[in-house]
Amino acid sequence: MTERLRIKDAVIKYGDNPAVNGVSLTAGAGEMIFITGANGSGKSTLTKGIAGLLPLSSGTLVRTPRMSYVPQYEEADRDFPARAGEIVLTGTQRPGKLFHTRNDRNQAESAMNALGIYDLADREIRTLSGGQLRRVFLARAICGKPELLLLDEPCAGLDAHSHEVLFSILRGMMSEGCAVVMVTHDISDIDGIPEGRVIRISGGRIAGYE
Amino acid sequence: MSEVIELLSYPFAYRALIAGSLISVCASVLGVILVLKHYSLIGHGLSEIGFASLSLSSALSVQPMYIAAPSVITASFVIMYVSRKYRTSGDTAIAIASSAALALGIVISSVSGTASNMSSYLFGSVLAVSEADLVVAVILSVIVIASFILLYNRLFLITYSEDYARSLGINTAMYQLIVSILTALVVVAGMRITGTLLISGVIILPAVSAKIVARGFRSLVIISGIVSFVAFILGLIMSFVINIPAGAVVILSNVAILILMKIFAGAKS
Repeated sequence: MTERLRIKDAVIKYGDNPAVNGVSLTAGAGEMIFITGANGSGKSTLTKGIAGLLPLSSGTLVRTPRMSYVPQYEEADRDFPARAGEIVLTGTQRPGKLFHTRNDRNQAESAMNALGIYDLADREIRTLSGGQLRRVFLARAICGKPELLLLDEPCAGLDAHSHEVLFSILRGMMSEGCAVVMVTHDISDIDGIPEGRVIRISGGRIAGYE
Repeated sequence: MSEVIELLSYPFAYRALIAGSLISVCASVLGVILVLKHYSLIGHGLSEIGFASLSLSSALSVQPMYIAAPSVITASFVIMYVSRKYRTSGDTAIAIASSAALALGIVISSVSGTASNMSSYLFGSVLAVSEADLVVAVILSVIVIASFILLYNRLFLITYSEDYARSLGINTAMYQLIVSILTALVVVAGMRITGTLLISGVIILPAVSAKIVARGFRSLVIISGIVSFVAFILGLIMSFVINIPAGAVVILSNVAILILMKIFAGAKS
């Protein structure tokens, strides 16, 4: 199995305080990993470290460059003057590629179709509900055909149908070799999802595997 | 109307009209990014650093742009670095640097006895626009507009979500640097017309007005450019008619447009 992510003894600090302390994990192509834990346990910090948004104080991180990241809903700027379709299309950008191709637009359209938000493409993001905006971010993440998908609390604000659609899409991506790493504090989000490995984080360390 | 026709008969007015319009549009386009990224104070900081540089060049009897351009560009690097590294204290650092630069400029011009030359830099003067300034404005506007078109998708992504862009492996610092250099150049070129005290308003106000009515990033950029152009033309004509510095009237025109747009948006909603 091709490895998409390998972290070894990762330490991430805020000032002198380690929020992540000696975490090691790997994710292979087609694998799904759930990172769970209470608020403040270090799971979002770990995700940001994997995404390259926070530097590792020590340890090593090796991952595929073809990665997409879905941040927490709360981090979105709701007042930004942009249309949903414009946001989704940014998911096809890559270093060294300045212009969108027709293929990029097709990928963005099919991602929006898959998540049932195609008719929202021309809507300003400030007019969208929380659940709709969450699906815009998911569409952005999947339209770039990533090999590693990082999702930080993706189920917050999703109704039961959207939850089902999300996991159906993730399964499709996994079957094409994408590794999925999902952070959730609510264990009920991943009830009935037998494919995933569950890693419980507490105090910045791996507290157990379920 | 007769005043406007009379205005167009003067060569300096043509130069001011073309150079000022181009710089205003460039400033407003860059202003969109600065406003959305909450870097509005950068233009203000750079203009006051520009004032200190102009005071120094006047005291040393050196061509102003030789000192102002490199100083303001260097300052833009430092300000952007401080804003990125110390996000919470970035505005404070800019405020300290800009007040210190303004004070330094006043001291230099007072000690060297060149204080009287400085009023046109502080408040701007349409008479100060030379043929060389016009050429600089044309070249600068070509660079800014071409950069914006070429980097449009990237700038949109980084402006909306810098973290997401970084997670894709995009070098966001490089694009921020490009925006700061272009902003520094626009500030230096615009100081002659609107004055160092007011150039930051030319950068920020059109974007703030456009944000009220724009329904997407592209329309925000276009409306911001149009607002800036209209405000500049109005300001230039009025400054000639009532004989007061153009920079001040351009800013007041921008403020009037901002208020009208607020009222229009309020009535519509």
